[in-house]
Amino acid sequence: METLKLLFKSPKFIAGLGIFVFLFLTAFIYPAVVDKNPFEMVGLMYEAPSSRYILGTDNFGRDVFVELIHGMKTSLIIGLFAGVIATAIGVTIGLFAGYKGGTVDNILNSITNIFLVIPPFVILILITVSLRSRSLAVMGLVLGITSWPWTARAVRAQSMSLRGREHVDIARLNGASVVEIIIREIMPYILSYIFMAFVLQVASGILNEAGISMLGLGPSNVVSLGTMLSWALLFESVRSGAWWAFVPPAITIALITFSLYFMNTGMDEIFNPRLRS
Amino acid sequence: MRKFTRYILQKFSWYLLAFFLALFLNFLLPRLVPGDPISVLVSQMMSGAVTSEAQERVYQSFIQEFGLDKPFFVQFFTYVGNVFKGNLGTSFSLYPLSVNKIMADALPWTLFLQFPAIIVGWIVGNLLGAFAAYRKGNFDRILFPVALFINSVPYYCLAIILLYVFGVYLRWFPIGGGYSRTLLPSWSWPFIVDVLHHYFLPFISIVLVTIGGQAIGMREMAIYELNTDYVTYCKMLGMGDRKIQSYVFRNAMLPQITGLAISLGTMVGGSLITEIVFGYPGIGSTLFNGIRRLDYPLIQGSTLIIALTVLAANFIIDIVYGLIDPRIKAAQVEGS
Amino acid sequence: MEESRKIMLKVDGLRAYYKTRSGERIRAVDNISFNLMEGEILGIAGESGCGKSTLAMAMSGLFLPPLTYESGSVFLDGENIIGKKEEELRKKILGRKYSYIPQSAMNALNPTLKIKNFVIDLLKEHDPRMSKKKVLDLTTERFESLSLPPWVIDLYPLELSGGMKQRVVIAVSTLMNPKVVVADEPTSALDVTSQKIVIKLIKELFDEGIVKSVIFITHELPILRHVCDRIAVMYAGEFVEIGETEGIIFNPIHPYSQALMQSILVPEVGIKGKKLPSLPGSPPDLRKPIKGCRFADRCYLAIEDCRKRTIGMVEFDSRKVRCIRVDHIKAKEEVVPHVQQ
Ligand SMILES: Nc1ncnc2c1ncn2[C@@H]1O[C@H](COP(=O)(O)OP(=O)(O)OP(=O)(O)O)[C@@H](O)[C@H]1O
Ligand SMILES: [Mg+2]
Repeated sequence: METLKLLFKSPKFIAGLGIFVFLFLTAFIYPAVVDKNPFEMVGLMYEAPSSRYILGTDNFGRDVFVELIHGMKTSLIIGLFAGVIATAIGVTIGLFAGYKGGTVDNILNSITNIFLVIPPFVILILITVSLRSRSLAVMGLVLGITSWPWTARAVRAQSMSLRGREHVDIARLNGASVVEIIIREIMPYILSYIFMAFVLQVASGILNEAGISMLGLGPSNVVSLGTMLSWALLFESVRSGAWWAFVPPAITIALITFSLYFMNTGMDEIFNPRLRS
Repeated sequence: MRKFTRYILQKFSWYLLAFFLALFLNFLLPRLVPGDPISVLVSQMMSGAVTSEAQERVYQSFIQEFGLDKPFFVQFFTYVGNVFKGNLGTSFSLYPLSVNKIMADALPWTLFLQFPAIIVGWIVGNLLGAFAAYRKGNFDRILFPVALFINSVPYYCLAIILLYVFGVYLRWFPIGGGYSRTLLPSWSWPFIVDVLHHYFLPFISIVLVTIGGQAIGMREMAIYELNTDYVTYCKMLGMGDRKIQSYVFRNAMLPQITGLAISLGTMVGGSLITEIVFGYPGIGSTLFNGIRRLDYPLIQGSTLIIALTVLAANFIIDIVYGLIDPRIKAAQVEGS
Repeated sequence: MEESRKIMLKVDGLRAYYKTRSGERIRAVDNISFNLMEGEILGIAGESGCGKSTLAMAMSGLFLPPLTYESGSVFLDGENIIGKKEEELRKKILGRKYSYIPQSAMNALNPTLKIKNFVIDLLKEHDPRMSKKKVLDLTTERFESLSLPPWVIDLYPLELSGGMKQRVVIAVSTLMNPKVVVADEPTSALDVTSQKIVIKLIKELFDEGIVKSVIFITHELPILRHVCDRIAVMYAGEFVEIGETEGIIFNPIHPYSQALMQSILVPEVGIKGKKLPSLPGSPPDLRKPIKGCRFADRCYLAIEDCRKRTIGMVEFDSRKVRCIRVDHIKAKEEVVPHVQQ
């Protein structure tokens, strides 16, 4: 509770959270209220922004504004889902490795390190290439399982530093099982840390979705910010000067990521005061 | 020195293991594609133009090349054997061009673009970050949010916007490719100037994003170092600020080297997409074409080369790091 | 204390605070005044967090953020060092006249620098003309007095054990023959033998007249009792009692001193004055201004008056005590829970 209050004193956290919540609400409320199909071709190719289509139309003559909102929703869903999965895997592995130490740690840490050096991008391409259909859930899952090592590594270090604490010893002497100790005596102390890692994972999920979509390996049958960019690029919107086809998704991605990074920085300053001079 | 040799050997075996894992994934994943991609592809690429007999021949040659008629593990060893012989197979989409040839053409472009861009971005970013940490005040207050914003703009978004503004709108730079189609590659001045002209935008877009990320990391490290006990102690002993700053810079720099190793994969990934945006003739664009045409040998070749290059770069960074950071050396001593 | 002796360090009404990010002030040094004579060793004792280390830093005249100077003066060898330019402090005072031996030697040395290169850097900063050889000779000599082998100089801090690090730090801190040495719990990380060596070195430097005066911040009874001439007891940023060693240890007057000395004399294993189990409650929050006696809430003698006004130091048999109940304590000498000798 105390820390929550502190968080709301950080201007960076507030600003980040504010932007994020605004985008989030827009993405989820607008489609629920205004029933428009983002795939509907309403105009000609690359119609410039006008009072009818405030962000113009794309290469298929679809309304960019409607696409943008739906794309934002898709990207947020995928990002959040990927974030949850990556954090869950990373935290589990990190906590166990850090708390158990010894052989368990050696094995888990080696696995983590190996997955850290093989570019996640490569694994991502290989997996998505071999999938026939890439639904939202599948995309989130794939993005999540390729980006957990960062979290695992960070959580391991934290968990290791807590291992020797008095309350952990006491719990151990009282016969608590490993899982109990990890959940009750270690996790609560690094919750803020886990949350920060989660925020970063969501950002990286959204970025990676866009990246992989640019390669033509994005989610199928939905509009996402990444697929919008990829169509814009594929259909030469840049070279034909149709800036409205790529600027909105590009800025939206940047804005979402920026808001998440800003939140993270705000939290970091609150939770790790030594970082501040 | 023997300890150091052991450190290198140990690192090397790790990277070898990682490489084998990458190799295995490379082998395995495309094989999980449902259906028989080869027959689909062969009929697609040769549709109409040739007799079914010719199609059958091509089909058989692919089956043989990949050993697709053999058991799974035999296929794997055939694959590993081929890779170690330096044979990456034959491209589907550019049949009968070998993947080796395509890679040999593309890789120099990628190295030429990414290596200098990442290094320059890394150095400038670190200097700016350290400077922000020392100076604090307005410099820091402005630099930090700007760096954070640049860092949150994905590589390709920045690339697209730069391309639009400077290439399409202002027409200062060409809108794509590695050199003008009208020129023949040669070591002549006009050609070199032309190449650099095409080089500038992709280079600067990678540099900018790298600067953003590195400056943030370095700033944090330097602030952390500035608050350590040894800095206080040095100050209490009357040591000058310059000397102390040199300590702090050095010590904050060292983790940034490992940081480079860890984020290299992501950086390279981002830069590959930058290539696609600019139609730069490197591995990124090759990979993109491979994906669009479901050219599995080409995709596999590209991902393998990317993985191998990143692993090699990481290995070199590890060695350099071990050479210069006594904290690691001491840990080796303690460990033995 | 003969009046004829020179005053080495005169601290007068020194106040300093830490500025937190939310703008609060942690007043860790509040109105401290005392004199340190030439040839004198003063001990400072007090619970963890009462501001001992902060005082040691503030007395150097160098206020490293977030520590901020508020008021008061510090005369070192007759010269007020408060308000001096950082450059002048650095060149003339720090390390040469006033030397601080930090509390934790664990991270006090730059991890990426060999000891050798660090001392060379340090001495050359102070005297660029000094040759490397001279620096190294000086260092190994000091190492020898601390029973540190000469090859230690070629090691990185990480390669040293905790005790070795502590001794290296002491050697470095005394390398420039400072007139006043402030040792912040210099022996807490050491085993008994090393403790003795460290104390012996400081005593030697002191007896030879190289170091003129010493302040020991410590809870170790042997140091307090056998090394210090006088002892100051600190509580919540203030000195509550200061006087000659025997008196403070065996006949403390201030109720806080009484509790502290009891815990030092009869330490429960592993506590050594860090926590005072015999006292109810905890020290006051230094962020809030405190009216009246800071110890009142934990004091068994507190009366209404104690909380009403600022309590000054009262002189009492060559001792100073910050308490208005002194007469009461003196009168009931026998019933006060005194420490058995
Ligand atoms: N850098 C800092 N920023 C803010 N507050 C600080 C800082 N350092 C110390 N303090 C606070 O100032 C008070 C005095 O701290 P100080 O370190 O001087 O105590 P101490 O008497 O030396 O304790 P110990 O015996 O544990 O060394 C404490 O309340 C502490 O929380
Ligand atoms: Mg202290």
